[in-house]
Amino acid sequence: MATIASTPGASTPGASAPGTTARGRRPSGERTALLGWSAANLLILGISLVPLLWLVSLSFKTPASITDGSFIPNEWTLENYRGIFGESLFTRALLNSLGIALISTVLAVVLGSMAAYAIARLAFPGKRLLIGLALLIAMFPQISLVSPLFNLWRQIGIFDTWIGLIIPYLTFSLPLAIYTLSAFFREIPWDLEKAAQVDGATPLQAFLRVIAPLAAPGMVTTAILVFIFCWNDFLFAISLTSTEQSRTVPAAIAFFTGASQFAQPIGSIAAAAVVITIPIIIFVLLFQRRIVAGLTSGAVKG
Amino acid sequence: MRRRSEPETQTAGEAMANAGEPTNADERTNGPAPANRRRAPLSAGARAERRLGWALCAPAVIVILAVTAYPIGYAVYLSLRRYDLRFPDDSKFVGLANYATVLTSSLWWQALAVTVIITVISVAIQFVLGMALALTMHRALVGRGLIRTVILIPYGIVTVVAAFGWRYAWTPDTGYLSGLFGDATPLSSQVWGIAVIILAEVWKTTPFMALLLLAGLALVPEELLRAAKVDGATAWQRFTRVMLPLMKPAILVALLFRVLDAFRIFDSIYVLTAGAYDTRSVSILGYDNLFTALNLGVGSSLSVLIFLVVALVAFIFVKGFGTAAPGGEGRR
Amino acid sequence: MPVHGGHRDPRTSRGRRSTAAVAGALALAAGSALAGCGGSDDGNGGRGPVSLTWYVYNESSGSFAKAAADCSAASDGRYTIGINVLPNDSDGQRQQLVRRLAAEDSSMDILTLDVTWTAEFAEAGWAVPFPAAEARRVTDGMLPVAVETGTWEDQLYAVPLNTNAQLLWYRKDLVPNPPRTWDDMLAEARRLAEAGKPHYVEVQGAQYEGYTVLFNSLVASAGGQILNDEGTEVVLGPPAEKAVEAIRALAHSPAADPSWSNQKEDDNRLAFETGSAAFQLNYPFIYPSARQNNPELADKIGWTQWPTLVPGQPSHTTIGGYNLAIGAYSPHKAQAAAAIECMTSRENQIRTAIDGGLPPTIEDLYTDQEFIDGGYPFAPAIYEALRNASVRPQTPAYQSVSLQIAHTLSPPSSASLGRLDSLREAIADALESKGLVP
Repeated sequence: MATIASTPGASTPGASAPGTTARGRRPSGERTALLGWSAANLLILGISLVPLLWLVSLSFKTPASITDGSFIPNEWTLENYRGIFGESLFTRALLNSLGIALISTVLAVVLGSMAAYAIARLAFPGKRLLIGLALLIAMFPQISLVSPLFNLWRQIGIFDTWIGLIIPYLTFSLPLAIYTLSAFFREIPWDLEKAAQVDGATPLQAFLRVIAPLAAPGMVTTAILVFIFCWNDFLFAISLTSTEQSRTVPAAIAFFTGASQFAQPIGSIAAAAVVITIPIIIFVLLFQRRIVAGLTSGAVKG
Repeated sequence: MRRRSEPETQTAGEAMANAGEPTNADERTNGPAPANRRRAPLSAGARAERRLGWALCAPAVIVILAVTAYPIGYAVYLSLRRYDLRFPDDSKFVGLANYATVLTSSLWWQALAVTVIITVISVAIQFVLGMALALTMHRALVGRGLIRTVILIPYGIVTVVAAFGWRYAWTPDTGYLSGLFGDATPLSSQVWGIAVIILAEVWKTTPFMALLLLAGLALVPEELLRAAKVDGATAWQRFTRVMLPLMKPAILVALLFRVLDAFRIFDSIYVLTAGAYDTRSVSILGYDNLFTALNLGVGSSLSVLIFLVVALVAFIFVKGFGTAAPGGEGRR
Repeated sequence: MPVHGGHRDPRTSRGRRSTAAVAGALALAAGSALAGCGGSDDGNGGRGPVSLTWYVYNESSGSFAKAAADCSAASDGRYTIGINVLPNDSDGQRQQLVRRLAAEDSSMDILTLDVTWTAEFAEAGWAVPFPAAEARRVTDGMLPVAVETGTWEDQLYAVPLNTNAQLLWYRKDLVPNPPRTWDDMLAEARRLAEAGKPHYVEVQGAQYEGYTVLFNSLVASAGGQILNDEGTEVVLGPPAEKAVEAIRALAHSPAADPSWSNQKEDDNRLAFETGSAAFQLNYPFIYPSARQNNPELADKIGWTQWPTLVPGQPSHTTIGGYNLAIGAYSPHKAQAAAAIECMTSRENQIRTAIDGGLPPTIEDLYTDQEFIDGGYPFAPAIYEALRNASVRPQTPAYQSVSLQIAHTLSPPSSASLGRLDSLREAIADALESKGLVP
């Protein structure tokens, strides 16, 4: 099933629905339909964006006007942004978030590619077991791991380090990476690999020189999905860190302070939220088709 | 894939293969053949392939096992001990006492009920909305690409950030939604708190559901729908009699993913209510007992119980509903 | 390591961890941690000042950072103090501290403890007591009730850094004569409501520590206590019933803010600043905030003592604030003690009070006219509140006890005498570390 869904880089299944042409022959009905679709689009657009826009609005408000309930700030200020970028609390967390997510992503794509290649191309016993294992991990309740990992990490001394977060992120993103990548790998023209092997390349060389470049689009997609996953994590980030050393942005938001001990830093939190959402939105806009292809292939296709 | 286990899948697969993807169809029919051929005499090449397969998978498997299998075993061990982080020297074996503590506590059952309610309601809503969105994207005359891009934004937004957005929206003074449904502070009552949590969950993950269902919709051959229409089937009949059965595998996988993901809900509750007013999920309860009460023994037994519940749900889906495990059997 | 590079001893494990992370090698990280544990006891080796790490929340006026810098400079090269930021809320602070202490982190030199944690940290062996003579010296001239919060079983574990107490803030333009009792306050609010004027009583009602504080203040102001003096048994006698009735009375009167059950200190401040309330039970931080956000309103704010439940008797509002303790795993305990003495000194407390609004623990400052005129006009009222203040139950199980109180009596509108019975049982269980925490 769903082979279509994973055609790498191509459009999503719905995009090529033949039904549209059939319906295109009724102009009067089409106008109503067009209006209807536009209304539906607007509704979806609004529901998807409003919560984010409210945060954007709060982030530009002054402390005195934060309670005015108005969607467009009455008094605009950049103070919230200046505030968070002026503190190592946030900048350091941003660095941690980027570093940890990037390293995890690279590792997940490398390890995931190896395993996905084997799954897509090679016959070996234990393959089904591996796929089952990956599925099990994808479903794993993360809270179940928090206490043992916390205890283990502090015993071996990697509590509150980058590596202490990278390892669990890697674990939970590997199933995603393996699914997505093996879906992509199945679509690669394998004749090339065979040709390379005929030319005397070992299977490993064939993988590295011929298949890997062809697999690059799939790897980019996987990388984006894994990055979003790591960027998003909160439970591990608050459980396995305790200083600026390795605290990521979602966890650091809880450390923001307002004008006094009891004051809530609503403006700062909103500004930080906007800042960490921007890269994701850029990714989404740039790689929209790939993300859709990757998400669906990873899950439906398997 | 899954041909042996699932008749519908077979239809879907066949229909799809006919739907015009010759390359894939070829690859698919040719695919298993060499594997079968290889199986008979284990040639040197096959042994090499075997070794390479294991070697390539080994790093991933080692990482996965190191971070899950060992810790879950360790959690089981901790759950059988009295272990207060403040007094590690008093740690000792207590058998199943921690489980008795948890299972006789109304807090556990309440958290479990809340988690189940959140899971069932949010996944049900997600399914309906997701299906509507998928059909919209499948059929839309205009703005298909736009919708697809826009609905990815909730998916991409960090859950904690989204939850803060909702928290401020529903809080009097800083929000625009509070009082919308008559209750001035929805986040301070159980029913409304859970409703807001479900809303946040639905908003965040409906896009994912929609995309999975969209992929499933692609399995429905257009000819079949047209034929049904010629035979006089209404739109609703075409949807329930033709589309849904053909999409069943995709639907079940999507539901399995979403149910198990919703079951471990943590981030949005932590931000929205922090579990106050009996809105805590099992994950929140586990976290509080681990990190606020510092009780690793009881906390670990909660962890193990949550794991068992999730495993049970997955088992029911796979065995009871015949959900084919994604990436499972069949495929070479 | 842009943040810690300046003040970390490179031989501690933390200094090495980022290297380990970059190398991506588990074994290396484990090895470095072992090496870190073996740091020599003086930790100095005659090479310049010792680096102390102070775990403290992010005080927004920067007065803690200034105190750290000044004390480092004044130590004659004995130590330098670097700050490691903790979360803003006390639950989050405790979680972070405890996690590192459980890991026996040797970088934890100076700990900032909420006044309610002394017993827990002392019993767990995470903080070390001050020798009696030193304890007398560093707490000389401090408010006895503040010193009591840092004391457990007659030993001083934590030196008061600042204190805090709530006052009754009211609108002078609406309320000519501030009420003395809880009932008077509700009656006044009802009168204002009937006249169609702002009438809400802003007070903490969300399910969290602040609600426990409210309950403790009410019980104490009714002449009772939650636990016995030893912290071993539940009391919750007739005064507790009075306290529950007071909560009920507010919840079912027009004085209750509709969002009471979701309000924390800052929600109260925001609501009061919008002008919808006539009263506010809150800490002094609301005053400078009102000055800045709504100067017109700030001119109309009056303050008086927290309302009492027994006419003729003073109220006993709950004491807040933070104390400084020496981490048990610190290799630099002597330097840490010296740094604590410096940072809790008179000069630094004055700066924290004036810049950050936090009440000092030095008793004679409250009668120091210069200090009062220098930006602390409500000092006499706070002094009176502090002299009558009550202390929250002192027990190592405080956190669980507090969670049970907030859980059982929430939301405020459901507080009842029946709930009080289940609360007695829940607290008794919590004292024995039985059961789950909510």
